[in-house]
Amino acid sequence: MTDLLASSAQTWRDRSADPPVIPDELRPPAHAGARERNRALWQRHDLRRQRAEDVYAASRNPVRGWPVSGNRAVLAFFGDLVRRSRGTFVLLIALNALAAASALVVPRLLGALVNRVEAQGAVVEGLDGLALAVVGVVVLQALFTFGAQRTSTYFGQDLLASAREYIVGTILRLPVGRVEGASTGDLVTRVTRDVGTMARSVQWGVPRLLISLSTVVLSVVAMLLNSLVLAVPALLVFSLCTPAVRTYLRRAPRAYITEGATYSRINTTLTETVEGARTVEALGLSGSRVRAGEDDIEVSAQAERYSMTLRNVLFAALNGAFQVPQVVTLVVGAYGYSRGWVDLGQITAAMLYVVALGEPLDAVIGEVDRLQVGAASTSRLLGIAEVPPDREAGDRLPAGVELVGEDLRFAYREGHDVLHGVDLRLRTGERLAVVGPSGSGKSTLGRLLSGINRPRTGTARVGGVDLVDLPLEVLRTEVALVTQEHHVFIGTIRDNVVLAREDSTDDAVRQALAAVGALAWVERLPDGIGTTIGSGRQALTPAQAQQVALARLIIADPHTLVLDEATSLIDPRTARTLEGSMNSLLAGRTVVAIAHRLHTAHDADRIAVVIDGRIVELDSHDELIALDGEYAGLWRAWTS
Amino acid sequence: MQDFPPRVATFFTGTDDAPSPDPDTRSPLAFLRWILRQQTALLAVSSLCYALWFLPMTLGPWIFGRAVDQGIVGGSTTALLGWAALLLGVVVVGGVFGVVSHTLVVRSWLVGLYGTLEMVTRKAAQMGHVLPRRSPTGEVLSVASSDSDEFGALTEVLARTIGQLASYLTVAFIVLTMSWQLGLLTLVAAPLILGVALPLLRPLHRRQEVERSRTSDLTSLATDIVAGLRILRGIGGEQTFGANYDRQSQSAKRAGVAAGIWQAVVEAVGVLLSGLFLVALVWLGAREVESGELSVGELITFLGYGLFMVGPIRTFFEFAQKGVRSLVSARKAVAIFEQRAPWRDPSEPVALDGTASLVDSASGLTVRPGILTVVVSAVPEQSAALADRLGRYLPADTDPVPAEDDEDARGRAARRARTERARERARIAALDEERATREWGVTIGGVDLASASLAEVRRTVLVSDTGSQLFAGTLQDAIDPHGRLDREQAEHALRVANAEDVYDALPEGWQGQLDERGRGLSGGQRQRVVLARAVAADAPVLVLVEPTSAVDAHTEARIAERVAETRRGRTTLVTTVSPLWLHHADRVVLLRDGTVVAEGRHADLLTGNDDYRHVVARALDDEEAVR
Ligand SMILES: Nc1ncnc2c1ncn2[C@@H]1O[C@H](COP(=O)(O)OP(=O)(O)OP(=O)(O)O)[C@@H](O)[C@H]1O
Ligand SMILES: [Mg+2]
Repeated sequence: MTDLLASSAQTWRDRSADPPVIPDELRPPAHAGARERNRALWQRHDLRRQRAEDVYAASRNPVRGWPVSGNRAVLAFFGDLVRRSRGTFVLLIALNALAAASALVVPRLLGALVNRVEAQGAVVEGLDGLALAVVGVVVLQALFTFGAQRTSTYFGQDLLASAREYIVGTILRLPVGRVEGASTGDLVTRVTRDVGTMARSVQWGVPRLLISLSTVVLSVVAMLLNSLVLAVPALLVFSLCTPAVRTYLRRAPRAYITEGATYSRINTTLTETVEGARTVEALGLSGSRVRAGEDDIEVSAQAERYSMTLRNVLFAALNGAFQVPQVVTLVVGAYGYSRGWVDLGQITAAMLYVVALGEPLDAVIGEVDRLQVGAASTSRLLGIAEVPPDREAGDRLPAGVELVGEDLRFAYREGHDVLHGVDLRLRTGERLAVVGPSGSGKSTLGRLLSGINRPRTGTARVGGVDLVDLPLEVLRTEVALVTQEHHVFIGTIRDNVVLAREDSTDDAVRQALAAVGALAWVERLPDGIGTTIGSGRQALTPAQAQQVALARLIIADPHTLVLDEATSLIDPRTARTLEGSMNSLLAGRTVVAIAHRLHTAHDADRIAVVIDGRIVELDSHDELIALDGEYAGLWRAWTS
Repeated sequence: MQDFPPRVATFFTGTDDAPSPDPDTRSPLAFLRWILRQQTALLAVSSLCYALWFLPMTLGPWIFGRAVDQGIVGGSTTALLGWAALLLGVVVVGGVFGVVSHTLVVRSWLVGLYGTLEMVTRKAAQMGHVLPRRSPTGEVLSVASSDSDEFGALTEVLARTIGQLASYLTVAFIVLTMSWQLGLLTLVAAPLILGVALPLLRPLHRRQEVERSRTSDLTSLATDIVAGLRILRGIGGEQTFGANYDRQSQSAKRAGVAAGIWQAVVEAVGVLLSGLFLVALVWLGAREVESGELSVGELITFLGYGLFMVGPIRTFFEFAQKGVRSLVSARKAVAIFEQRAPWRDPSEPVALDGTASLVDSASGLTVRPGILTVVVSAVPEQSAALADRLGRYLPADTDPVPAEDDEDARGRAARRARTERARERARIAALDEERATREWGVTIGGVDLASASLAEVRRTVLVSDTGSQLFAGTLQDAIDPHGRLDREQAEHALRVANAEDVYDALPEGWQGQLDERGRGLSGGQRQRVVLARAVAADAPVLVLVEPTSAVDAHTEARIAERVAETRRGRTTLVTTVSPLWLHHADRVVLLRDGTVVAEGRHADLLTGNDDYRHVVARALDDEEAVR
C-alpha cells in the first residue's frame, strides 16, 4: 500500500500559531489619545465593511452551505407579496392611517379648546361639549389602533406561517446532496429567526413606513404653502443628508446579511454542543466547545458593531439634517421679518412644522432600518429556494419492475468520482448482497439505485425509465432505501412507521412491527404505537431505531428494496433471524442488501463485491468462494 | 461599564480561573432581576442618556418663544443670535445623546443576548450527558435562539422607561409648581393607568406562553425534519412530515393571533387611557381658568406638557408588555439554568491509578490492567450499559421533561400540570443525585469511582460509545480536538484506526473540512475517525463500544490488530462479538443478562463453552442457514 499520508507534513498546522478569531486591528487601542482613537475607530469600521463584503460575496455562491439571494429576487418577492394580498394591505394601511390621523386630531382639538378659552375669557361656552368630542375622537383612536393591530397580527401571522411552511416545503424538495453539505443550524436559523424577522418587518415596517412617509410629505407641502422663503432653506438643509442615506442603503443589506450569517454560525455550534453533550463530556471538550461558542460570539459582535456604526452615522446625519432647520428657520425668519417678507404667524407655523417633522422622521428611519433587516432575512430565506432541484419529474411510468444500472459514475466533489462505471442488472426477486471495503462506494451505489442521487454519467432505470425522472410518489412504490444513518422522527411510532403510506391501518403498523420483531417492546411503551418518540421524547436504542426503519420499509412495500447496513446495530444472531423472517415476508421482492456481516452475503442469491467504486466480482457465494478472489478472502477473514 | 460580548464565567467551571456567580433561578422574576443586575452600570448610563436625549426636546419651544419675543419682535440681533446659538446647542446635544443612547442600548441588548447564549453553552458544557436526560434538546436550543433576544429587548425598554420616567417626573414637578391639583393628576395618572391595564396583562401572559411553547415545538420539528431529510428521501414521508409541520405551524399561528389580539387590546387600552388623561388635564385646566386660578398662558403650557406626557405613559405600557414577554422567556430559561449537575466531588478526592484493575460489582467483571479485554454479550445493550457504568455515566433511562406542555390547560389545570412537571424534573434530579453521590459500584485499584473527582474519572477512563459524535471542523481538529498531539501521533492514530483513506479523500489533507456529524463521510469512515480520536486521546483506560460495527472484515482485522498493538501495556476494553477482535483479545469475558458467566481465552472458550460459541461463531453451515 502506498503511503496515503504522503502530504501530511504540508497540511498539518501548528495551532498555537493560529491567528485569533478577531484580528487585533479590530480591537480598540488600549492607550491612545482621542484623535488616535477616533482614527482607529474608522479604520475598524472600514475593516469590518471589508469583512461584510467578503461574507456577502462568499454567501452568494457558497462552496458549502446555503446561498443568499440577490436584491432583485428580494424585490420581486415583496412585489409579489403586495400584489397577492393587496386587499389586506390596503386595509392595514387604511387602519394605520386612521389611527395615526386620529392621533393627530386629538391635539388639534385640544388646541382649539384652549383657543376658545383664550378667546372667550373666563366664561366658556360649550367647553364640556368640546371636551366630549375629544373623548369621542380618543375612543375612535383606540378603536382604530385596535383594528390596525388586529389586522397586522392576522396579516403578520399569516405571512409568518405561510413563509415558514413554504420554506420547509422547499427544504423537503431540496437535493439531498445540498442538505448534507450544509449546516443544520443555518437552515434552522433561517426557518425561525429569518422568517420571523421578515414577517415582522412586513407586518409593522411597511404600513408604518408608508404612513410616516406620507406625514413627512404632507408636512413638507404644508411648509411650502406656508412660506416659500422659510421652507426652501430648510429643505436644502434636509437634502444634505442624501449622501449619508445613500451610503447607508448601499451598505446595510450586506451588514445585515453578515449579521444573519453570524447568528447561523452561533446556532450551529451550539446545536452541535448540545446534541453532542455526551461526546463533549467524554473527551473533555467542554472547554473547547465553550471557547468555540465565545469565538462565534466575538465574530458576531464585530458584525453587530459594523451595523451599529452604520446606523449611528445615519442617525447623526439625519438628526443634523432635520434638527438644524429649526435654527435655520429661526434665523431666516428673523431676517425675512425685518425685510417684511414674512409675518410672525408664518414663522411660528414654519417652526411648528419643522419640529413636528421630527417624530415621523424618526419613525421613517426606524422603519427603513427594520425593512433593511427584513430584506436581509428575506434574501437569506430566498437563498434556500434558489438551490436548483436536482430532479424534474417526467410523465413516463415504468414498464416493468426490472432495475438496471448502466455505466454509473458519481462524484460528491467535482473531479473526484467515487463510482467508476458500474453496470448492474438486478434480477427480479433476487437477493443481492453488496460487500466491500469501507468507503468503496457501496452506499453511493445504493443511493443511485434508489433514485436519490442522479448519476454523473450513466443511468439507473426501472422498467426503462430513469429513476430520477419519476415523481417521488411513484418512485417510492418502485424502490425504497433504508439508509445507514438512522433517525427517529419526533412523532408517534405510528408516524415513524407509515412514512411511505400514510393511510396504513394500525393493524398494518402492528404487523410490520411484529415482522421486524419490534412489537413486543412497542406494546410495552406507555401508549403503544401511539407513543411519541424522537429527540427529547421517549428514547430508543440504536437497535430499536433500526427496527423502526425496517418496519417503515415493510409498510412501503416497494418491489425493490435497498438495505444499507439495515441491521448492523442489532445483535448478529437476532439480525440474521430477522433478515430470514423478512426475506420470507418479502418473497418476490428484489432486495439489495449492503452489509459487512457476511452471513447476509452467504444467504443471498448473488454477491457484488465493490472495490474502489467498481464491481469486481458478481456471483453466488459458492461460485465466489470457488473463484478464490476478493470475496473468498473477505469471507475467510470474516469467519476466521 | 459592561461591553459586548460580555465575559460570562458562570456554570461551567472546567477551565475558569474566576468563575462568576450563578444566576438567581429561584423564580422567573428573580432571574430577570439577576439579568438586569448584571449590567446595572450600563443600564444606569443609558437611562441617563435617554433622559438627556428626551429632555432637550422640551426646551425647543421655550427657546423659540424667547427668540421671537426678544430677537424678532424686540429687534435685537444679538439676542436672536444668542437664542439661535442656544437652539443649535440644544439640537446638537440632543443629537449626540441620541447617538450615544443608541450605542449604549445596542450594547446592553447584546450584553443580555450574548450573555444568555454563553450561559446556555456553559450550562450544556457543565451538565454533559445529564442535560439530555432531563430537558429536551429543542428546548435548550430555543432558550438560546429566541429567549435570549427577549432579555435583550427587556434591557432596552427598561433603559428607555427609566429615561422617560425621569422626564415624566420632571414635567410633573413643573406642573405641580403651577397647580397642585393638576400636578397631582399628572403624578397619579401614570400609575393609575398602568394599574387599570394590569389585569389585562395576565391573559396576555398566558397566551404568549402558549405561543412561545408552540413556536418552540415548531423549531424542534423543523430541526428534526432537516436532520432526517436523508431518511425521508429514501423512503418517503415528506408529505407526512410536511403536513405535520404545517399543522403545527397553523397551531402556532393561532396561538400567535390569540396573543397578538390581546396585545392589540392592551395597546388600544393604552391609547384610550392616555388620551383620556390628556383630555381630563386640559378640561380641568380650562375649568381652573374659568375660576380664575390659572392663566390662559399656563393652560397652553399644560397642553404642551400633557402632549409630552403621552410618550412616557406609552413607554410604561410597552415596558409592562415586554416585561410580561420576558417573564415567559425567563420561565423557560430557569427550567434549564436551575439544573444542577448531580455530581458532588468528594471532600478529599482520591487520585485514580489507571494502571490498576477495574472492577464492576454489578456484573462481577474484573478488567485486568495493561491488557486487551473483550466483552461478549448476546445483547448489545447490556454491554453498552456495562461500558456506561465503567465510565461513570448515568444510564439513559429517563424521559426529558419540557418546561411547558399541555398548552390547552388553563388556570388551575395549567398550574397543576406545571407543578406536575416540576415534580417530575425534581424526581429525576433527585434520582440522578442519589445515584451520583452514593458508592458507584465500580472500583479502580480498589478505589470506588465516586471517591475520585469526576474530572479525574474522565481523565482516567475514556468510553467511546456508539453515539459518539463528530463535530464540524478540520480533520486535524477531529483527531486532535485539544491540540495536544504532534503530527506523528496524529498520523499514528489515523493508521491505528485504518482511516488513512479519509485523509486521502480530502484534498486539503489535515485541513480538509468535515461536515457536522461527519455527514460527508461514509458510515465506516465516520466510525474510524471516531476511533482514531479515541485512540489519540491515549487514556489510561479505554473502553470501546462496538468500534467496528460499520467496517468490513479486512479493515476490522487490521484495526483490531493495530489497536491491540498500540494499546499494549494499557487497559483496553472492547465490547463486540466479532472473532476478529477476539483473536487479539488477551482475555474474553462472556456476559449473560448483564453478569459475567465465563471468562478466559477466546480459543479455550470456543471449545469449552457452548453459550459462547453460540454467540460468536460465524460458521454458517449449521442449521441456522435461512432459506
Ligand atoms: N455526502 C458525501 N459527501 C462527500 N463525500 C462523500 C459523501 N458520502 C460519501 N462520500 C465519499 O464517497 C466515498 C464512498 O462512500 P460510500 O458511503 O459510498 O462508501 P461505503 O462503501 O458505503 O462505505 P461504508 O462501508 O464505510 O459505509 C467515500 O470516500 C466517502 O468519503
Ligand atoms: Mg456505507
